[in-house]
Amino acid sequence: MLNETDIKSYFLNILNEENDVSAGVAAIRTLMKIIKYHDSGTIQGLLEDLKLGMEIMKNTNYPSAAITSGCGLFRRFITLAIKDTYTFAECQNVMLDRGNLFLNKLNASRNKIKKLACQFIVDGSRILTHSRSRVVLHALKEAAEQNRYFEVFVTKSAPDDSGERMYNDLRELKIPCTLIMDAAIGYIMESVDFVMVGAEAVVESGGIVNKIGSYTMALSAKAMNKPFYVLTESVKFSRLFPLNQSDLPDEYKYLPTARSGDLSKEDPLVDYTPPSYITLLFTDLGILTPSAVSDELIKLYL
Amino acid sequence: MLEMELFSDVIKLISDIRHSKLHNSYDIAIHTEELVERLISEGKWKSAQDLMSLIKLRIARFISALPQEATPVNIMRHILKIIRDEYDTGFKSKGEGHQSLHHLVTANINDSEDYSKLLPTLKSSLLNNLAEYKVELESSMDNIATQALEHIHANEIILTVGKSNTVEKFLKYAAKSRKFQVIVVEAAPRFHGHLMASNLAKSNIQTTIIPDSAVFAMMSRVNKVIIGTHTVLANGGLRTECGVHMVALAAKRYSIPIMVLAHMYKLSPMHLCSSEQDAFNICASPADVLPYSSGPLLNKVHVYNPAFDYVPPELVTLFISHQGGNAPSYVYRLLSELYHPDDQEL
Repeated sequence: MLNETDIKSYFLNILNEENDVSAGVAAIRTLMKIIKYHDSGTIQGLLEDLKLGMEIMKNTNYPSAAITSGCGLFRRFITLAIKDTYTFAECQNVMLDRGNLFLNKLNASRNKIKKLACQFIVDGSRILTHSRSRVVLHALKEAAEQNRYFEVFVTKSAPDDSGERMYNDLRELKIPCTLIMDAAIGYIMESVDFVMVGAEAVVESGGIVNKIGSYTMALSAKAMNKPFYVLTESVKFSRLFPLNQSDLPDEYKYLPTARSGDLSKEDPLVDYTPPSYITLLFTDLGILTPSAVSDELIKLYL
Repeated sequence: MLEMELFSDVIKLISDIRHSKLHNSYDIAIHTEELVERLISEGKWKSAQDLMSLIKLRIARFISALPQEATPVNIMRHILKIIRDEYDTGFKSKGEGHQSLHHLVTANINDSEDYSKLLPTLKSSLLNNLAEYKVELESSMDNIATQALEHIHANEIILTVGKSNTVEKFLKYAAKSRKFQVIVVEAAPRFHGHLMASNLAKSNIQTTIIPDSAVFAMMSRVNKVIIGTHTVLANGGLRTECGVHMVALAAKRYSIPIMVLAHMYKLSPMHLCSSEQDAFNICASPADVLPYSSGPLLNKVHVYNPAFDYVPPELVTLFISHQGGNAPSYVYRLLSELYHPDDQEL
């Protein structure tokens, strides 16, 4: 049986040591670990344990949106596994087997996405992206490896300046790129061909929750009739239906350290982009229109 | 052995389309279906896998020759799905099915299937299925036409562009019991609208023909735009006759609904990636625009005659297929019913 510090350090370890793992996948791997070492012998005990694990992970300084959706999907998957088996040991094995299969598929998902997205990056494209997204980086890398010539504009993306990391990553790959100010989104929009961003979570309406500024970018893209593409793994689909920005849960918007203080004075870390501003979503399930997202979620949770 | 296949059937299909022996999509669809039916009954195949690779080779051959012609590929793609379904029901196996979130969560390790096992009843059940499919293809046009009365009301003014057999039949069906007026856009430079207008007038429909340039001027008095299409794309957009985008924008300006009559075999899993995408558009002969008789002028100017327009899904109100009306945002769902996810990329 893992205790609280074990869970926390295991989770943080994955994220610190493996650069390429997203918080959602790390969360699922941590939950798998909890299942593996669980010894109470009852499903109820295991579920309690998993719930505790989720809480611990949500209270780390990592994007809570991705952790929540990853854990939600995993929990659903466990309830489906329980239905099929009888004894606890059997159940534990089924969960671990399926869990590994599930993780393998998730690991393959970025490759699928990059292949789908790559065909939209044609020679001479000028692409605007926001913040740093691993899957966008993968897709751009794939296009560069296919000897496509294109140019990328990256916003600096305050407050954590994650755009600078993206910019450095792109420079390392020898992809022509320019770092721009967040306030220059409107300025640059007329000269780009399309916008390509990642997402922290995809919500039921087909909209996305992503780094603050994504909504501004989507509004600006819509105003200038530029396609707004979202690249995201299906593990980020979450059961949330926000109607406006204030509907987003506080744990998505603020770090745990900030949550205890006066939230009205805090800067939010993410915003919600409604589906009407999104042209297409590139996922491991294929290229989806925003309306297809709710269909996928209904199929799973109904 | 597969490499030795001569593809004489598909080569004939390609040349028939090229030489306009088959010029409407319905004939092309029926010929493709018959081609596959012959392949199933006479071809050298043992397992479903053999058959599928035979069909896939034909698709590849066809795409390399006529990439802009989506109908035969869609028909063959749908037949691949039929084969997969028959195989799965034959072995009572679940198969990969839809590529969904649900599947991602519930998959078992031994679910994957390579379709190589022999199924003696496969041939007969496939031929039965294809016979049904052929009936569906043959009746598709009539099924669409019978929905006309739901969409065309008395004394309405309908605008259509160029000539489409499906639209013609749709309007004629409605004319049996309703009185309405049709405005036909002539669709330069091929002027198929003229033939359409004369066909409609022969059925006693009050018909007006207008030049393409008059579309905006006439749009304010139109109640509905009804058009056919060459292909429906995966996002619900259209690849259709050149000039329709302009009509769609004019209709949008006056908030006039656009109905697109589309057979199921026009639905393609293709996306428009960029406006310069290879094989999305083709240029037809410039002689229609500037005849060779114009002599000396020909040396001094460039003449382009693109065949297709892309119409984005926001501009389309409704697709009408033999199953009824669907919004553009629902096209992805129809696609996932029509084709297996593994066959979408070929």
